Parts: sequence; C-alpha cells; structure tokens
Amino acid sequence: MVKLDDIKNKCINLLEEGKVKYIVGYKKNSDSYRSVPAFIEKIEEIDQLVWDPSCVYNLVRFLIDEKKRKEIQKNPDTRPVGIIVKGCDSRAINVLLQEKFIKREDVYIIGVACEKSGVIDEKKLVKKFMEKRIRKIEFGKEKNFVITTGEGKTTVPAEEILAERCIECNNNTPVVYDELCGEKIERSVSEPFKSLEKLESVSTEEKWNFWKEEFDRCIRCYACRSVCPMCYCDECVADSISLAVKPDTTAEEKAQKIRWVEKSPVSSENFNYHLVRALHLAGRCVDCGECERVCPVDIPLRYLNKKMEKEASEQFGYTAGLNPEKPALVSCFKDDDPQGFIK
Amino acid sequence: MEKKFEPKIVAILCKWCSSAGSDLAGVSRMKYPPNVVPITVMCSGSVSPNYIFSAFKNGADGVLISGCHPGDCHYIKGNYYARRRIALVKELLDFIGLEPQRFQMSWVSAAEGAKYTEIIKDFVKELEPLGPQNKLKSNL
Repeated sequence: MVKLDDIKNKCINLLEEGKVKYIVGYKKNSDSYRSVPAFIEKIEEIDQLVWDPSCVYNLVRFLIDEKKRKEIQKNPDTRPVGIIVKGCDSRAINVLLQEKFIKREDVYIIGVACEKSGVIDEKKLVKKFMEKRIRKIEFGKEKNFVITTGEGKTTVPAEEILAERCIECNNNTPVVYDELCGEKIERSVSEPFKSLEKLESVSTEEKWNFWKEEFDRCIRCYACRSVCPMCYCDECVADSISLAVKPDTTAEEKAQKIRWVEKSPVSSENFNYHLVRALHLAGRCVDCGECERVCPVDIPLRYLNKKMEKEASEQFGYTAGLNPEKPALVSCFKDDDPQGFIK
Repeated sequence: MEKKFEPKIVAILCKWCSSAGSDLAGVSRMKYPPNVVPITVMCSGSVSPNYIFSAFKNGADGVLISGCHPGDCHYIKGNYYARRRIALVKELLDFIGLEPQRFQMSWVSAAEGAKYTEIIKDFVKELEPLGPQNKLKSNL
C-alpha cells in the first residue's frame, strides 16, 4: 500500500535540498471528500498533501502552464517542478517528452503506483451512495475502498466505483519517474478495450443516433480542450478566435483565416470539432479521462479517444506514452501497415 | 419524371500519380461518371483530415483519396504516412456512424487511367443506394 508518509518524506527532502521550485500534488478540498490540486512551495505546507482514490486529476496539465509562464519571465527559476503522477499521468509526461515540448530536466517526477486499484468514478460513487454525505474515501487493504459517511465506515469492492479507464488500464505503475512510492504490481488486463464492444457491435444507424444525441448537447465550452494535457497548441484549429491578432493584422488577414470548424454549437460543427480533436489525440491520448470528467453535458468523449487507441494498438502496434525515444504514431510507418481498405 | 439521385464525389488526387492517371483517362477518351470533382494536391500525405471533414460538411456524398502505389511516391514516403492517417480517419468515421462506403482510398498510378474509371464507376454505384449524405452536412 502507498503510504502517505512516504510521499511526504520524499517531498520534504526535495524541498529541503532545494531541488525543486515547487511540488504539484493533491490536497483535500475544504468541504468534501474530493481532492484538488495543491502547489507546495514551503515545507510547512507539506501536511496538506493527500493520496486517496479521489485523486483523479491529471496534474501534467500544470507543466504546460508552467512552461508557458516560464517563457515570458525575465529571470525564470530554472529548477525543475516536482509533480506527483499516477501511471496514466506518467505516460502523458512521456508524450510531452516525445514531442520535445518539455525537457526531462525541467520536471522531477514522483510516481505513485495505483497498485491493485485506481481512482474512483465520481458518478458511480454518487449513484451508489445517493444522498449520504461522504466524508472520506481511502484505499482498502485489498482491492477495495473504505468510504466514511455520516453513518460510519463501509468497505466497497473496487470494481463497483472504480473509473472505467482504471479497470482497463495496464499501467498501474508509472512508466517514468525519479522516485517511486508504492509497490510495483504486475497487472495484465485481458480486455483493454471492453468498453468499446457495445458501441462497435451496433449498426451504423444506431451508432449515428448515439453520437448525434451526444454531440447535439455539446455547448462548445472547450473544457475538454482546456483540461487536456495534450492540447497545448497556442492556436487551436477548432477555434478561430485564437488567431494571434497583432496591431498590424489587417482585416483581410482576419477574414482569410481558414475556419475549418465554425464556432456555432450546431450538430455538424460539433461533430467536426470532436472528430478533429479525436484525430489530433490519436496516438497521444493516454486515457487519463479528464475530458470526460470535466464535460458539463456528460458526453462520453473517452470512447472516441479509446477507439483511436484501439486502432493504433491493433493495426499499428503502438501505445501512446511508453517510450519517449520512439517516433509518434502518425510520424512513422511500417512497410506492412494494413491496407485492406485501399482499392 | 422523378430525378435520379446523382452522388457528388470529391476526389483528392495526388499530383504525381492519381491526378496524372485521371488525365490519362480523359485524354484516352475513357468514359466515367461525371459525378466526381477532382482536387489535385501535391501528395496524398499532405491531406489533412480537415480537408475530408470539410468536404463532407459542404455536402459531398463521398470522398475519395488517391495516391501513388506504395514505393512509388514522388516524395519517397508520403503515401505511407497517408495510409496510416487515412486508416485512422476511416475507422473514426465508421465509429461515429457514417456509412463506410462514403469514404474510400485508392492507389492509382499515372498509367492506370482504366483503373481510375473503374474506381469512380464502383464508387458511384455504391453511393447511389445510400442517398444524399446529410449526416455531416453543415446545418449552420
């Protein structure tokens, strides 16, 4: 079992030695069981740190913000940023390293193994406990969670409230780290793409109806894009408002900017946006599930990305974020890539 | 008399092989359906998924991507990259429920005018029973 003290001690050492400028971790939300990101600069703050099944956030997103902040600072602090990562998040770091977006020396990775379980799906948890007020949620000894409500402690088997992505995840141990907390436990999931089966087996019309219903709800708030550790472009193809308008940008330049995706949240544009996003994440998405979690209208975005992950793995034998030295999925090829669909 | 449905096809052809192939079909006076609008690009590897989605958005009933045969690419390996990328686009379009017949890819060399006409003929034949493509068509 991962001991919180273990994580804390490692963080204290890092801060004492001045190796890192700050540590990104998780702390308790003030009024609920949830964990929220914490930025720890001083040793006195270290007690805030927590590690429990509600640590769902992918903190790698903050590395992108950090890099962008550093670019505009006059005398930036060149020390690395300490970051607490789970298995999936560590793959996200690998993708950023692979794309040379961040440098390895700019980040100090404290990996935390998920061991036998993973993190919770809040929707499942709320459904299970209905109105009861949840105070605390902890990892149990075996593959279970201990949940403290107003009425006392309950032990729940992990499968019941575990996020779907964690059930299908093979990387319970971080793939890249400087220090590791917790045990390395081998896990081999026999059906990593099981959640897709249901949707893949239905007819074309049914698939269409499913996605049409989902995407019609999209309000184009771009929360999925904002939270995604892979969406770091300064200018997004889907959002023409982000054309860098300078004093010398002419009206003509603005008008001639190609708008591949219009901004209106209508069905066709929503489809276009989500398809483009899925393709831009093909071979990069690490299935951290953040896009789906933040979606205010509950679109199952994960399925789109998972589908791309599945094709990458089955057709091209590629899994995102395992090796930062290898070329990315769409920037390499093999002579014997499948071409049965080509006439 | 009821008007027969005529599918609109956008064919994105690479400059060095498929576009020359379609030219050959033309100068050899081979007959093929006039439903296709050819667009020449420098390489099938330069085709962004945005081109495909925007074709569908602007009312194309079918999109054809065509490039050089593997090993024949003018830029050595552009069509290999295309093969990978288009495979992903195809899987994604199938997954969201667009009829798989509407999006096709082919290898047509500069000498294969006859093959090009066959591909277009088959494509039109496959699209006719499907009717107009309204799924991804812009409804702005």
